[in-house]
Amino acid sequence: MSISKEDVRSSLESVKLPESGESIVTRGLVSEIVIAGGRVYFAITAPSDKADSYESLRVEAELVVAKLDGVESVRASLTAEHTPGAKTSVPTNKVGASRNPSRSTSGKAAGGGRSTQAIIIEGVKHIVAVASGKGGVGKSTTAANLALAFHANGQACAVLDADIYGPSMPRLFGIKGRPGPGLGGKLKPMSGYDISVMSMGFLVDEDMPMIWRGPMVISALTQMLREVDWGKLDVLVVDMPPGTGDAQLTMAQQVPLAGAIIVSTPQDLALIDARKGLAMFNKVGVPVLGIIENMSTFICPHCSEESHIFGHGGARLEADKLGVPFLGEIALDMVIRIGSDEGNPIVAADKDSVHAKAYLNIAAQIWTTLEAHSDRTDAIPRLVIED
Amino acid sequence: MGRLNGVSSNDLVGESTSDNHLPEEIRLTRKRDCLQLTFNEGEHISVSAEMLRVKSPSAEVRGHGPNDGITVGGKKNIRINTLEQVGNYAVRISFDDGHDTGIYTWKYLTYLANEHDRIWAEYLSELVVAGLRRA
Repeated sequence: MSISKEDVRSSLESVKLPESGESIVTRGLVSEIVIAGGRVYFAITAPSDKADSYESLRVEAELVVAKLDGVESVRASLTAEHTPGAKTSVPTNKVGASRNPSRSTSGKAAGGGRSTQAIIIEGVKHIVAVASGKGGVGKSTTAANLALAFHANGQACAVLDADIYGPSMPRLFGIKGRPGPGLGGKLKPMSGYDISVMSMGFLVDEDMPMIWRGPMVISALTQMLREVDWGKLDVLVVDMPPGTGDAQLTMAQQVPLAGAIIVSTPQDLALIDARKGLAMFNKVGVPVLGIIENMSTFICPHCSEESHIFGHGGARLEADKLGVPFLGEIALDMVIRIGSDEGNPIVAADKDSVHAKAYLNIAAQIWTTLEAHSDRTDAIPRLVIED
Repeated sequence: MGRLNGVSSNDLVGESTSDNHLPEEIRLTRKRDCLQLTFNEGEHISVSAEMLRVKSPSAEVRGHGPNDGITVGGKKNIRINTLEQVGNYAVRISFDDGHDTGIYTWKYLTYLANEHDRIWAEYLSELVVAGLRRA
């Protein structure tokens, strides 16, 4: 049975405006009704300042029409009635972040208006995400040791543990206790081995699960970034949650990440996931600074024989294939694992060990790339809102 | 209007545009009726608020898969309320009809600017097919 415009219109009589009780049809708010096969399209005109409150009317209208015989789908849209000059929209100064704070003062902003580039976290030069496509590849251990390596190389460095569901930084740095108040009503981060650390793990017990919905994760992350007194930093290392979910996307969208480092084991399965991580960062315009192969070779503590438990060189091949730098490999050695669990990461515990040197070398490479890219102005257009 | 702020594969439209052709500046004009894109040779291209609204990359307009999109009409007098940068890759545009779920990547904006006339002509014919009008 085919439907007619009249059927639709008369069914819409029952949709009434909350203020006056008048039907949206009598008020003349329903547009021309379009019927294509079993699909119905129409629009409801809403005063531009009430568009939000009209949303429930729109939904109601869709439901009413959907009940008619022969209707397969309904698409009602809200259109704004714009009375010119009646309401000048107030420009809110909601601004995002610039990866490079110096750009907004480059003097390039010609003409009137103001630039909307702003810095989210003052005093922090580069924010670097340490990520992995899947869990269990040693991302947090790598992040902690890289932070220590930046510090050892002379850069002011701090760690943000964004792995909300499995915060490991308190244990890795051997820090207990709760952060206290700092400057300007912000939270003062904890400190371990001269490195400031902020983690959800300081605020909840270690064996307490974080049973959180996405929006809570997002607000926790935002707070840990903006409401912590980070001080002046060259590098803020962010230990990302594993995978490519909501938290990762939030970080990439709301934080001016200078780049991301992907940690992977040489195993094919892990590399497939690493590739997904890489694709995500590419998509949101965050440069991937390189791939680190973790658990690269196993050195037997008894006979010192090297075994390639997960294969070897997979990450290097993958990096070549994907056109991103290969930053180095870290062996699977009991010493690293024990140090991590005891809150004594290898770079702090034994700076001259071969493993520590590998981390120091990787951190130096990353620093060079960060500094080389810091005057990059081509990637982000300037946003200007005229007054 | 759900807040679907994810990055869907639909964002790939116009993604073939290479990086060095992204605009240097994106300017919201005083009248709030268009965005002015400035490219490196000093070339200005304006994209009207109406075109941005009806071609919003949001799930609301574009749907969740191919052929799931809708034609939006009646936006002739739409104005832009504000711009908000999203990460390093996009800008969120809030319109005065309450629509603010579209995240426009630099590439998508460039695509709208470069293919402006073709996209606009196609939109006008889509309107006729859908039986909608601009105002």
